[in-house]
Amino acid sequence: MDQLNIFVLEDDKLAQKVMASRLAEHNVDLAANLKTALKKLETGRYDIGFFDLMLGPGDDYSGLKAIAAAAAKGVYAVVVSSSDSEEIIDRAYELGARDFYAKGNEESNVAEIIAKFVRGRRAADAADVFGSAFVTGDAPTRAMITEALKYAPTELPILLLGPSGTGKTSLAKVLHERSGREGAFVAINCSAYTQDLLEAELFGYRKGAFTGAADGRTGRLLEAHKGTLFLDEIGTMSLNMQMKLLKAIEERSFYPLGSEKPERSEFRIISATLEDPQDLIARGKMRFDLFQRVHGCTVNLPPLAERPGDITLLAQHFMKGGRRLSFTAEARERMLDYAWPGNVRELKKFIDLLSSGAEGRVGLETVAKHLKGQPARRAAGGGGLDDVYSDALARGLEAALDKVADQVIARSLAETGGVRTRTMTELKISTRLLYASLRRQENGRGTIK
Amino acid sequence: MTQDSSKLLHDIRSKCASLKSAAELYKDCSSGEKKEMLALMTAAAQEISNALAALAKAA
Repeated sequence: MDQLNIFVLEDDKLAQKVMASRLAEHNVDLAANLKTALKKLETGRYDIGFFDLMLGPGDDYSGLKAIAAAAAKGVYAVVVSSSDSEEIIDRAYELGARDFYAKGNEESNVAEIIAKFVRGRRAADAADVFGSAFVTGDAPTRAMITEALKYAPTELPILLLGPSGTGKTSLAKVLHERSGREGAFVAINCSAYTQDLLEAELFGYRKGAFTGAADGRTGRLLEAHKGTLFLDEIGTMSLNMQMKLLKAIEERSFYPLGSEKPERSEFRIISATLEDPQDLIARGKMRFDLFQRVHGCTVNLPPLAERPGDITLLAQHFMKGGRRLSFTAEARERMLDYAWPGNVRELKKFIDLLSSGAEGRVGLETVAKHLKGQPARRAAGGGGLDDVYSDALARGLEAALDKVADQVIARSLAETGGVRTRTMTELKISTRLLYASLRRQENGRGTIK
Repeated sequence: MTQDSSKLLHDIRSKCASLKSAAELYKDCSSGEKKEMLALMTAAAQEISNALAALAKAA
């Protein structure tokens, strides 16, 4: 248990006693009025501060002033007050309060606040995530992941989007490791199972639940109790299975196959899909209510080819602790030009192949041999069939063709000054196709990229 | 509702909440702490009574 330095501003003697008892495992410093509070906050060093707002009968919420002083000193300021006015709550947050709790539930609230603070501090103290756990030097990707890491210690579900091989599983693990959750990280690739098998895998089953169930088995949902359940390729799950999963998420309990006794599991959901969830919903492949349940924070990992700076960085990372290779300028250029349809996974395999080769100094010929027959992205002018082909390999032909259609329609609209009827006439397309494209473009703009 | 009444109600809510929390904590206190806690709880109850009287007067 981390022993913390905690400051409490509370004028009521009974409330002081309650807080002191609830925080007995920590170093607690009490102040009963604003003047003492400001003096103590000026000179003391505190991790967390609990603040009452109304200090004495008729007081005009003078505790708010102490919040600003605490926030300026980097104290994690939490209001514990009987005030329920929206105006006062907003003001407290504006002044730097990190949380606001109603008085009267200290037994659960204080423990929750301390746990949340400790989890957040551990996450901040953790080693630089981008140096080893998720290697990237790409500024937009770093910014997006940094934002997602803020939610790691919370219950908020996280949805990871991006083509295959971009590191969705690695990122899910990073988020779990920084969540402070005591349970395990349990991953399951939904596309690897038929509906019946997926149900048995997720919910578990009792002995004799079905033919061949000679022994019972614990499901992944239960294995993920107090931990993280990572559902990869969630878009491949049948609608019926989605409904069952939704119920388990909402009720935090489920029935293993063949069992009449419900099991309880407090798992946190991180899910991933390489398809566009809005498109899945539009095509009736994904339940909207399930989507609502799993997309609290969305991270869209770009393909490796869109962050070429990471190619060299990742190659160096994969060689760490093993054979160090050296690339000629031409070889490096070829690697940078390559589209990497398999993304980081393909790059890792490529480095592994080279590492087991005869030459330590790698030239263009060796690189070209391994990347043979694959498109060289920028050499092809950053467009054309090569790009469509890589996209189709990464996301499927339908999605790749949709993207081409969107680009053509967007260009036509730009050239026609946004006159949709002219675009439809010139491109000989239907209203339905035009609006489907516009919807996709609109959704694309709304996604975190 | 006047500002005074609003503040009186806040005070009553606050003290009731403290009483509730203290009552939850009471069973885990040592005998010495129980005496101290009871004295504080009694004082809080008296203050609630006073605030209620003031509220009645203001009504």
